[in-house]
Order: sequence, then C-alpha cells, then structure tokens
Amino acid sequence: MRKLFDFLYRRRTFAIFLGLEIVCIWLIVSFNQRQNADFLNSSNALSAQVATGSQNVSDYFDLVEINEQLMLENERLQAELRDKIAFADSLDVPTETYLVKGARVINNTFRRSTNYLTILGGEESGILPGMGVISTSGVVGQVKSVSNRYATVYSLLHPKMIVSSTVKRTSTNGSVQWDQETYDIASLKYVPRHIGLKVGDTVVTSGFNSVFPPNINVGVVSEVNLEDHMTFYEAKIRLSVDFTSLPNVFVVIHENKLEKDSIEAL
Amino acid sequence: MNRINIREQIFNCIALLFIQLPLLYRITLGDRIFGFFYIGFLLLLPFKVSRPYLLLAGFSTGLIVDVFSNTPGIHAGACVFVMYIRDLWLRIVIDDTEELTNINHISLKKTGFILFVFPLVFVHHVIIFLVENGGLHLFGLLISKAILSALFSFTIVFVLNYLIVPKARRI
Repeated sequence: MRKLFDFLYRRRTFAIFLGLEIVCIWLIVSFNQRQNADFLNSSNALSAQVATGSQNVSDYFDLVEINEQLMLENERLQAELRDKIAFADSLDVPTETYLVKGARVINNTFRRSTNYLTILGGEESGILPGMGVISTSGVVGQVKSVSNRYATVYSLLHPKMIVSSTVKRTSTNGSVQWDQETYDIASLKYVPRHIGLKVGDTVVTSGFNSVFPPNINVGVVSEVNLEDHMTFYEAKIRLSVDFTSLPNVFVVIHENKLEKDSIEAL
Repeated sequence: MNRINIREQIFNCIALLFIQLPLLYRITLGDRIFGFFYIGFLLLLPFKVSRPYLLLAGFSTGLIVDVFSNTPGIHAGACVFVMYIRDLWLRIVIDDTEELTNINHISLKKTGFILFVFPLVFVHHVIIFLVENGGLHLFGLLISKAILSALFSFTIVFVLNYLIVPKARRI
C-alpha cells in the first residue's frame, strides 16, 4: 500500500512538472508573435522602474560620453539648419512628414542572441507598437509593446528585425538582418549579382515601409562574397549605431502611416 | 533532523535573487559571459521541501526574472526543469541524505557543493541559451557561452554562500 502511495506521489510531481513546462512553452510561443501589449515584458511598470533606478546609477559614469554625443548631434543639426536656410525657397515640395520623439534608454542588451531595449516613453507620449526607433547615428530598432510610460523595443540585434534598405551608391534595395553573432555586424541580403557591390558602400533605409524615414544610416558594407552559383550577394555590413553606448534614442512617428498603409493594402 | 534555517534562506533570497534582478545582463564579462546566479537561490532551498513546492518556487522565480529580461517562459522553463531534477541529482551525488536539511557549503562539504551545484547551473544555462538562440546554429558560440557563464554564475553562488554561511557555525 505504501508503495502505491509513493508511486502516486511521484506521478503528482511529474504532472505538475509537465503542466508548468507546458505553460512555459505556451508563453515562449505566444511572446514570439511580432507585436503584443502583454504585461510580461520589460515595459511593465515594476521592472521598468527597477531598470530606471539602475540606469540612473550607471548614467553618472557615462556623462562624458552622453555630452559628447549631444555635442555631435548639435553640430549636425546646426549644419542642417544652415542648409535649410540656404535652400528655404525650394522647400515647398510636399514630402512625407515624420516627427521624432526623444526618449531615454533605461535598459539595453546587445550580447544576447535576441536583444531588446526598454525606453522611457510610452502611450502617454504618443508612442505605439510598430514605430521605428533611430539614434543620432542610425537605425536602432522597432517598438514591440508599450505601457503607459515605458516601451519595449526590438533592437536591430534581434533576428526578427528585417530592415528594408538601399545601397546608397547604386540605389539597389536589399534587406538588413542580424545574424546573431556580434553586436556590430549584420547581413545585407537580396542584393542581386549584377550590381557592383563594393566594400565601403553605405547602406541606408529605403523608406519603402512607413517605419523608418528614407536615408537613415544602417551601416557600411564590410565584406562581400559572390560565388558563381549565387543569385544574390552574401554581404556583411558594419552597423553605424554603436549599441554598446546608446543613452538616448528617437522614436519616429509617421503622420500619414495609416493612410499610406491602407492604400498599399488595396 | 535539523531545522530549516530561515535566516539563511532569507539571505540567499536577497543576495542571489534581489541583487540579480537590476543587474540582469548588466554583469557581463567579455561578450559571452552572463551571470544568472539567481539559480543559486533555488538550488539552495532546503532539502526537505516537497517537490511540488520546489517546482512552483522555480516557476515563479523564473517568471519574475523573465519579466526583467523580455523572455517570458525561457527562464521559468529552465528553472522548473532544474528544480525537477534537483533532488534526484542530490541523491546521486551525496551518499548520506538522511540528515540533510539546509544545503550549503558546510553540510555538503566543498566537493559535494561543487558536484551538486555546478552541473545544475550548467544545465540551466544551456537550456536558456539554447531556447533564446532558437536552435542549434552557432553551436560553438552557444556552448562556449554556456560553459563560461555557468562557471561565472557558479563562482558567484559559491562566494556568496561562503559569506552568508560563516564557517565557524555548526549545522
């Protein structure tokens, strides 16, 4: 009799074990949908507050770097302003309008095989899932989910992020996707073989989807490989964003996104 | 039979779990060493706790860590698995488990502690990196990450255990 109870008891443990593992697998699978507003991620208020606290501490050690980046950004903006003033008359051409919204990064990983950022800024400041995120030096990622005050962002260093890009010199389209190895290299895919792709070519966003504005830097071609049997180049690019130091980012808000997407869906 | 040392468990929880949360993915050495030392808290739970409770403890701890790392299910799944095999593994490694209640470097002896903790930490890390990676590609990177990170996490658990459980005290 005792043996029977022992047996049943062991089965109970195993059943709980199986049940919990199934719940875990379900969580993993359902989180892998592209966008969701689920509370089990880093834009959840509690974990975001903890992240803000620990970021506040480490920010003190990065102040020099942050200042330097802000100065560079100011320089760039100044230069652009001069250009704009010089060509003020020719600016009447209607263009797509993009607004940007600055946000502080409170958590950022770049060494895992799937990477995310958490930023300080959520629904209250008009940030919605699906919006693009850039920094002063280039493409950073795309918003995954938002809470009231925080947002979780797919880093460009996430295998699900595919950025529609253009090789600037030849205006050829391709896709940039991270290959899970190091945080400064990604792959440039689908550039056809008749294009003379060279090491050193600049790759920028194409602006074909309404996530990123056109002409935002993605990276520079660092390695080109073309065998006889291949239809497309196998190219690596060195990313222009330094993911190891990313104190501030900008969320891109595309004003006519809905209109553009709906007309393209027809 | 020994009594469960509540003080030791509370210190374990604070030192291993609550310190881990804000530091998750902030403690990295080089580009492939991550410290997931919160697993130490689960491994050092008292031996006499019944296994269903251990599983639930593993699940909830894992889920809390998951919220901080944007990986719902991955840490929880790994923890539940490790908690499932924990007592079986302890019985294999340690000959005399009759009088064992509190698990620490004194009750298990140094070699017992290493033999018990390190393989489980390694299994936990392998599961996490494997699932996060989404497959067996980049296998070399994966396995080197797992080995180095497991060594790192184990060292932290070991050192913290020395600090929490003073040597002079009799168990």
